[in-house]
Amino acid sequence: MATAAKKLTRSGAINYMHPTIIGVIASAVLTLLVIVGSRNLEHFDSALFGYTIASIVAFGAIAFRYAIWLQRPATRTYFRRGLQLFFQRKKFAANTASAATTVATNLVAQKFIFKRGTMRWLMHALIMWGCVIAALITFPLVFGWVHFELEGDLGYRAYLFGIPTQLMQGRDIFAWIVFHGLDFSAVMVIAGCAIAIHRRLKDRGAIATQTFLLDFVPHMMLIAISVSGLMLTASSLWFEGYMYSFVAMVHQATVIMTLFYLPFGKLFHVVQRPASIGVELYQRRSREMPQAVCPRCKTEFVGQMWIDDLKKVVGELGFDYRMANGQTLQDYCPRCKRIMRGLAYAGLPDTKEKVFYGTREEAGHTETTKSEKSSQQ
Amino acid sequence: MQETMFIDPQRCIGCRSCVAACRECSTHKGYSMIFVDHIDRSETTATMPTVCMHCTEPTCALVCPADAIKMNEDGVVMSALKPRCLDCRNCVNACPFGVPKYNTAMHLQMKCDMCYDRTSEGLKPMCASVCPTGAISFGKYEQIVPLRRTKPVNAHVFGNQHVETKVYLMLPTDETEVNIDGCGVFEGRIGLTGEQQAQTGESWIDTQEEQSDKSNEF
Repeated sequence: MATAAKKLTRSGAINYMHPTIIGVIASAVLTLLVIVGSRNLEHFDSALFGYTIASIVAFGAIAFRYAIWLQRPATRTYFRRGLQLFFQRKKFAANTASAATTVATNLVAQKFIFKRGTMRWLMHALIMWGCVIAALITFPLVFGWVHFELEGDLGYRAYLFGIPTQLMQGRDIFAWIVFHGLDFSAVMVIAGCAIAIHRRLKDRGAIATQTFLLDFVPHMMLIAISVSGLMLTASSLWFEGYMYSFVAMVHQATVIMTLFYLPFGKLFHVVQRPASIGVELYQRRSREMPQAVCPRCKTEFVGQMWIDDLKKVVGELGFDYRMANGQTLQDYCPRCKRIMRGLAYAGLPDTKEKVFYGTREEAGHTETTKSEKSSQQ
Repeated sequence: MQETMFIDPQRCIGCRSCVAACRECSTHKGYSMIFVDHIDRSETTATMPTVCMHCTEPTCALVCPADAIKMNEDGVVMSALKPRCLDCRNCVNACPFGVPKYNTAMHLQMKCDMCYDRTSEGLKPMCASVCPTGAISFGKYEQIVPLRRTKPVNAHVFGNQHVETKVYLMLPTDETEVNIDGCGVFEGRIGLTGEQQAQTGESWIDTQEEQSDKSNEF
């Protein structure tokens, strides 16, 4: 298994002040939404108090982590430029369409994961949709945004933010599906995690590069949540509530641990991934703009705005790739960079030196020098 | 000292065995991450093999907006983490060696990771295990160096930037670093006018390579 990653920073000290303020504001806003959405806590279920507090803290922590992440020079550049491009008046409609396409293909259909592998896509779809369904059911319940009221003998009516919705008959197939929504999502998550763990135990590449904390812990946590959740259903349905309160405590503990793991571990990609909307927009727009031409091979290889932004980022990081000919190394296309290094290498041997032809120790070798050669031409 | 790679372009005969073997690596199955470029096709048959040099301060990792490129404790710079990579291609265009590859359909960057699945188990990387001339060798510094008359150097200077790497380049001279400043020109073209130098006379091989290799899309 791979060893821990080295810490790589070159962008100066991290500012913790602003992220802390942003985190606190985020938590405060969510607290306010809980109070307002549950109609002054009228519909708030006090049994779910632990979950509410954990969600509020985790939300603040995610906002904090996001703000820290935005301090990376490259991230900051993409974020600012992405917003700037998006809000350009003339292109606003096209940009909205571009963002919608990215959301549909990348975030919903996840075509790119399908291209990486069919099983990987299935695994990810099961885990993601399982978690999305679970989150859509549980968070509104925890925050008191949704509550149920009994109407008649078996009629249930859900109230969203205090607004009544469709009446369900308790013995209906529809009601059965709704009430067991979390069980279905748990099965999906377990199946997805099983595929993921199977791959991680069998795939040689994965075995070499994975780490326990980054790659196994999230799956184990999700499985723990799902299994303990299913045990609650089993306890109430078939075992007359046997050990129900203990299992409920275990379930709550695993959920809270996962919520706290969200900002700092692999699961942060859930929050991070939507950045691809901005990146794709940036790429689409830069294709319409003047293209950077490689000074050596004269090929257009990427948008000029892109290269200019990149050079700025590279400079901010403290690198100085400026050359004597006025160009910066990043102005050249990747292939020319490789060839330039090859040419620099090929130009090294001075035929005057003893070492030419690979015999460093042997003296007395004479050959016309490079400068003599060029003067002959 | 840890094992690392030693690249000796003088020995490269351009057979591209390494390119084929690289596809067998389990961390980037089916895709080759190594480059063998003709340095000036109309003047010479010389080729330049390029693997990731594994910089001690990798520019690719630092320009990554998603913090997806990690260096492990062995100093090996890994491919982008799959959940994080946004396919922004900053790394592709920032790398001074022109190494990282990307695939837009997969939203993924991949690069040479010194066959970490093999090297972490004490095996040689695929390229080093098939190279017939020893242009790409893998081993400990004290094992490889006495076998060669060329000088191992792990410092490059690109313009004003000094870049130190884990991988060594074997130099036929006593230089302590490789200096890359400007486009460079092959020996046979020295003394020609700028216009004549610019006529690269690329062969059809270059044209074939062009599309994928210039942009580094795999």
